[in-house]
Amino acid sequence: MAAGTGADIVSEFLSQNPHLVDWVESLRGYCETNKQWHARREFVLRNMEAFPTIQPGTPSPNLDRLLSLSMVWANHVFLGCRYPQPVMDKISEMAEGITVIAAPARKTRDEIMGKTKRPAVSELDYQGKKAKPNDPDVKAHAKSVLKSGPPPGAPAEHQPFFNRLYKAVAWKLVSAGGFGPNLEHYEILRSCVESCKATLSCVFVPLKDIPDLPMGRTQKEGQVCELRCCTVYVGTGYGRDECAAKAMASKEALKVFQGQKVTVKVCRRRFRGRDVDDLVLLDEQSRSQVFPPALSYPFQEDQ
Amino acid sequence: MGVPAFFRWLSRKYPSIVVHCLEEKAKEYNGIKIPVDTSKPNPNEVEFDNLYLDMNGIIHPCTHPEDKPAPKNEDEMMVAIFEYIDRLFNIVRARRVLYMAIDGVAPRAKMNQQRSRRFRASKEGAELVEEKQKMREEVIQRGGYLPPDGIKERFDSNCITPGTEFMDNLAKCLRYYVSDRLTNDPGWRNVTVFLSDASVPGEGEHKIMDFIRRQRGQPNHDPNTHHCLCGADADLIMLGLATHEPNFTIIREEFKPNQPRPCALCNQMGHEIKDCQGLAREKQGEHDEFADKLPVSEQEFIFIRLAVLREYLERELTMASLPFPFDFERSVDDWVFLCFFVGNDFLPHLPSLEIREGAIDRLVGIYKDVVHKTGGYLTENGFVHLERVELIMQAVGVAEDNIFKKRKDDDESFKRRMKDKKKRMKAQQGPSFVPRGQFAPQALGGRDRPMAVQNARHSAYEMRMQGNQRNQEAAQSLRAMIKNGKSVAETSDSADTRGVKRKAEDSDSEPEPEDVVRLWEDGWKQRYYKTKFDVDATDDEFRKKVVKSYVEGLCWVLRYYYQGCASWKWYFPFHYAPFASDFKDIKGMFSDFEKGTKPFKPLEQLMSVFPAASGNFLPTTWRALMTDPESSIIDFYPDDFAIDLNGKKYAWQGVALLPFVDERRLFAALAEVYPELTSEEVRRNSLGSDVIFVGKSHPLCDFIQELYRAESHEATEIPAEFCHGIQGILNLDEDPILPDKPVESPIPTLRDIRSSCAIGIKFKDPQYDDGFVFKAVILAGAKIPSKVLKPGDFEQGNRGRWRPQLGFNPNRQQAHLDQSGFRKLNHHVGMNQGAGQFGRGQSFEGQHSGGQYSNAPPPRTYNQGNYRPPRDNYPQNQYSSWQTPASSTPYTRFQQGAQGWDQSYQQNQQRGRGGWRPAHGKPDHRGGGGGGRYNWS
Repeated sequence: MAAGTGADIVSEFLSQNPHLVDWVESLRGYCETNKQWHARREFVLRNMEAFPTIQPGTPSPNLDRLLSLSMVWANHVFLGCRYPQPVMDKISEMAEGITVIAAPARKTRDEIMGKTKRPAVSELDYQGKKAKPNDPDVKAHAKSVLKSGPPPGAPAEHQPFFNRLYKAVAWKLVSAGGFGPNLEHYEILRSCVESCKATLSCVFVPLKDIPDLPMGRTQKEGQVCELRCCTVYVGTGYGRDECAAKAMASKEALKVFQGQKVTVKVCRRRFRGRDVDDLVLLDEQSRSQVFPPALSYPFQEDQ
Repeated sequence: MGVPAFFRWLSRKYPSIVVHCLEEKAKEYNGIKIPVDTSKPNPNEVEFDNLYLDMNGIIHPCTHPEDKPAPKNEDEMMVAIFEYIDRLFNIVRARRVLYMAIDGVAPRAKMNQQRSRRFRASKEGAELVEEKQKMREEVIQRGGYLPPDGIKERFDSNCITPGTEFMDNLAKCLRYYVSDRLTNDPGWRNVTVFLSDASVPGEGEHKIMDFIRRQRGQPNHDPNTHHCLCGADADLIMLGLATHEPNFTIIREEFKPNQPRPCALCNQMGHEIKDCQGLAREKQGEHDEFADKLPVSEQEFIFIRLAVLREYLERELTMASLPFPFDFERSVDDWVFLCFFVGNDFLPHLPSLEIREGAIDRLVGIYKDVVHKTGGYLTENGFVHLERVELIMQAVGVAEDNIFKKRKDDDESFKRRMKDKKKRMKAQQGPSFVPRGQFAPQALGGRDRPMAVQNARHSAYEMRMQGNQRNQEAAQSLRAMIKNGKSVAETSDSADTRGVKRKAEDSDSEPEPEDVVRLWEDGWKQRYYKTKFDVDATDDEFRKKVVKSYVEGLCWVLRYYYQGCASWKWYFPFHYAPFASDFKDIKGMFSDFEKGTKPFKPLEQLMSVFPAASGNFLPTTWRALMTDPESSIIDFYPDDFAIDLNGKKYAWQGVALLPFVDERRLFAALAEVYPELTSEEVRRNSLGSDVIFVGKSHPLCDFIQELYRAESHEATEIPAEFCHGIQGILNLDEDPILPDKPVESPIPTLRDIRSSCAIGIKFKDPQYDDGFVFKAVILAGAKIPSKVLKPGDFEQGNRGRWRPQLGFNPNRQQAHLDQSGFRKLNHHVGMNQGAGQFGRGQSFEGQHSGGQYSNAPPPRTYNQGNYRPPRDNYPQNQYSSWQTPASSTPYTRFQQGAQGWDQSYQQNQQRGRGGWRPAHGKPDHRGGGGGGRYNWS
C-alpha cells in the first residue's frame, strides 16, 4: 500500500538518523491527528535537504519556512484550504511522492457559493476557467482558432452594437404592433440595422448547392438566404425565391430578438464540410443549438 | 453565544424581562432642533446610575448599517456613532457614570472566532462588489439609470479591529465627543465618563465587567448602584447575572426580523440587488418631501431587566430537600455555566445541545435531578467542580442517542409538513377573479357550512386592496418594460419564461447536502470522529485530547466571566466539540492556567486575525508576510477555505475550517519586520490606558486639575468621596483635554470647541493581589428590588385582582380624561356617528393623555406566539370604580362625565360584548396599554 511504503520509508530513515527522532517529534502540533502528523512528518523529512541551513534543534527562519510550507500542504490536504497559485505550485512539487490515503473530501467556501448562489456560468466562460494554461488540447484549439476564425475579443467588440440594435428592434416592433407572422420582417430588420448605422448583408445559395443537407430531403428547388450584420451571423431562411428566403431569414433573425437580451458568441458551425468557429447572435437561452450550415464565412485565412 | 437564538428563547420563556424603552424625541420648531434636556427625570420612571456601552455593538451598525444606505465617508460614520450614543444617553440618562468600552486585543481563545469572521467578511465583501459590478453593467446596458457609483471605496468592516488607523481615529473622535457633551449638555454635567479605547486590551464587555468587579471589591462601592449595560450580545445577560448586582438592566435594539433593506445598487427599497432594474427614483410624497426620511421605522430599544430574570430563575431553580443548604446565588452561577454548553464565543457547542430544541430546559432538568447526588453546586466564584460536572455530562450523554433520533424525526416531519403545505397552497390557487376568504366558493354539504358572512365590508375592502396591489405591480412592471424598450408581446412571453425558470430553480435548489455523519443511526460516534476529526474510533487518546481541551475551555470561560481573563494564551485548538458521553474521568484533566501570560500587541493581533485581502491595514513589510510564498507564516493565510455546513443550510452558518495560528512562528517572523515600523505605527501598536473625563462642575475636576498643575508623575488614587465611591488610580495624560482650553474637532463638519469644560486623565482600575478571588455574592447592604412577577400563591391570598407591572415603576400613575376632554373629543368626532366609542367610560380609564409617564409601549415581537394579553392590567381602583361608581373618589368627575353622557348606550355596549373583558383579546387594543379603544398616540 502506498501509505505503507511512505511510513516504511520514514521509519527506516528515522532508524538511520536516530538523532532526528526527538527533534522531529517536537514539531508536532497539539491538535494534529496521527494521520496528519505522519503525513506532515514525511513532508518535512523529505524536503529537509532543500533547506540545507536547517540545524535540527535550533530554530531558524529557514526551518520556519519549511514548517510553514508543510502546514500549507497539510491544511490543503486535510482541511481543504487553498492558497495563492505560486504557493500551491510549490507545495505540489514538494509533496511529490507522498501519498495520503483517504484524505477527507472538503468543500471550500468558493465551491459552496459557486454552486448555490451564482447563476450558471455560460459554457464558454466555463471552458475558459476550467482549462489550465498548459493543457495541450486547449493550446491546439487556440491555435486553430487563431488561424481561421473570428479575432479574439470579437464577441465583446460587437456586443455594444447589438445591444443598440436590440433596442431599435424592440421599439420598431412595438410600433408595428408586436412580433407576428404578418409583418414585413425584412424591412423591419433592415431599417433597424440601418438606423444603427450598419448594413445587413444577404448571401443566397440555391438549396441544391448546399452540402451537408440531411439525405431525406426531397425539396431541391428554392433559395437559401443567410443574413449577417457586421460579420455576425443572425439568421438563415429558405424560400421559393430570393425574396421569400430573405423574408424567412429575417423572421428567424427577429425571433432571436424576442429574448431578454441578445449576445454575440463564438460557436461551432459547419462550413463547406468542415467545422469552423463563427460569430453568432444568440438569445440568452439558446443552449446546445444546432445551427444551419454557414453559407458564407468571413473569417478565412485568405481574407 | 448562539446569538439571536438565545435571546429569542429567553424572551419567549421569560416574557416579563422585556420592557420597552420610552424615548423622548427631540422636537423641531421652524426647522430648528431643540435637544432633549437629559437632566430631567427619566421618562422610563427609573433612574440609572451607570451606563456602560459595549461600543462594538454601536460601531458596526453605524458604519455598515443593514437597513439604510451606508454612510459616505468616515466622518459621517463618526457622526452616526455620536448620534447613536446621544440617543442611548437620552433614553438611559445615567446620573453617575458613562463607560464606553471599545474592543481591544482579545484573548487567544476569542481570536479563532474573530479570524473566522474576518476571513468570511472579506470574501463576502469581495463577492458583493463583484455582483454589484456585474449587475451595474447589465442594468446600464439595458438602459436603466443608476446613481453614479462615485469613487467611494468599499468600507471594509474588517477595519473595526484594534490596531487599525480607523480605530485610532475613532478614539480621537470620541475624546472630542466627550469633551463637547461635557461642555454643552446639561445632562452630562455631573457624569464621570470613562473611555476605554481599542488600545486597552480586552473585549469591550469584559473590560466593563472588570470595572464593575473591581469597583464592587472596594469598600466604598455603593451596593445599590443601578447599572445599565448596552449591547446586543446574548452573553451580556450572562455577564450581568454573573455580577450579582441586584439592579442590573441591559438595553439593546429591538430585533425585528425581515426588515426591508435598500438595494445596494440604486439605494431604493423594495427589491434586492439581483432584481435591480435601474428605474428612476419614485417621488416620496407629493413633492418628494420625504426623500430623506428613513423608509423603515427607526430601530427601537428594549430594556432587559435582570432583576426579573432572577425572579424567574429563582422560581425555576429553587429545590426543596437538598442535601446541602440552597443558595439562590450559587444556583444562578450554575445556570450561567450550563448555558455555556449550548454555545459561546470560545467553544463550539456540544452536538447534542441545540438551543432551538430546548437544550437549556433539558440541562436545567438534568441539573435538578443530578444536583441531589453531586453534594454541592457545580461552580463557585467562577471555579468549576469537575467531578460534579461529569455527573451532569454523563446524564446528558445517556440522552444523546435519543436526542439525535428525535432531531431526525422532527426534521423529517417538518419537511413533510412544508411539502404538504406547499401542495395545499398550490391547489388552492385559482384564477384571480375567484373571490377569496369568506367569499370563497365552498363545496356544499360540509360541516358548519355555509357560514354566515361577517363583516362583509371589511372583506370587500381587503379584496379591493389586494387587487390594487396587483394593479400596482403590473403598472410597475409595465413601466420597467417601457423603460427597457421591450415589446409587449415579447415581455409577456419573457415573463412566462421567467416564471417557469424560477419554479425549476425552486425544485432543484434544495439538494440537501448529504449528511455523512448520520447522527441518528447506530455508529454515529465513530462516524462523527471519522468525518469531523479524521480519526478512527479506536483512537481514544485523541478523543481524550479533545475532551481535555474542552474541559479546560469550560473552566477558562467561566473564570473569564467571574474573575477576568485567566490566560491570554489559552484557546480551544479544534473545530468541533466532543460528545457529552465522552466526558469521562475529567476530574484530573485540569489544574490551572499558565500564569503571567500577556495579550498580543494590536498589530500582532491584526496579523493573526486578518486574511491577506485585508493586508492594506498593515505596514507594507508586515503585509508581505501574508502573501510572499517565501514567508515563514504563509500557512496562516489561505485564499479560500473549506466550510463544513455541519447540518446547516447556508455557508455563513457552517464551520470555517481555518488553520490555527502558531504563536511561536508568528512572533519569530514579526521579529524581523518590527524594526520597519514608523514611530506612528509603533504608537498604534502599543497598549494604552483607560481615560476618565469629568466636567468642570464635577467634584473631581479640581482634584485632577491640581494634579496637572503639580505635574506629579506618580500614580494617585481617587479619593472615594468625590465620585460616588468609585476608585482607581490616576496618571497624567500626555496630551490631555483641559478646562478652558480649545479642543480641535477631528471632523470637518463639526465645530471646534473654543473653551472646553472637560478635563481628562488616565485611569486604571483598582488593583488586587494575584491570588485574589472576586466573590460572586450579593453585597451587604444591597436591597433586592421588589418583586414583579405574580406570586404563585396569589389566588389563595384572596387579595383581589393581580395587576402586572408594565414598566419599571410599580406605582405607575395612569392618566385619564376629564369632562372637558370628552366634550372636545365628541365635538370633533360628531355626536351621532360612532360616538359610542367615546362614551365607554372604561376605555378612558386605561388611557393616558399622551403624557410621558403613562405611555406604556405595547408588547411586541418577543411575545408573539405565547403572548397573552394583559387582561387585568387596569389599576385596581379604577376597575372597581367602574363597577361601583360611587366608591372611588378620585375618579368621580370622570365617572360623571362618562355616565352622564350616554349611559344607556354604554350599557348596551357592555351587554353586547359580554362585559368588556373580551375586548382585550383583540391585538389592536394592546396599543393603549389599558386596552381602550381610542388610541391617543
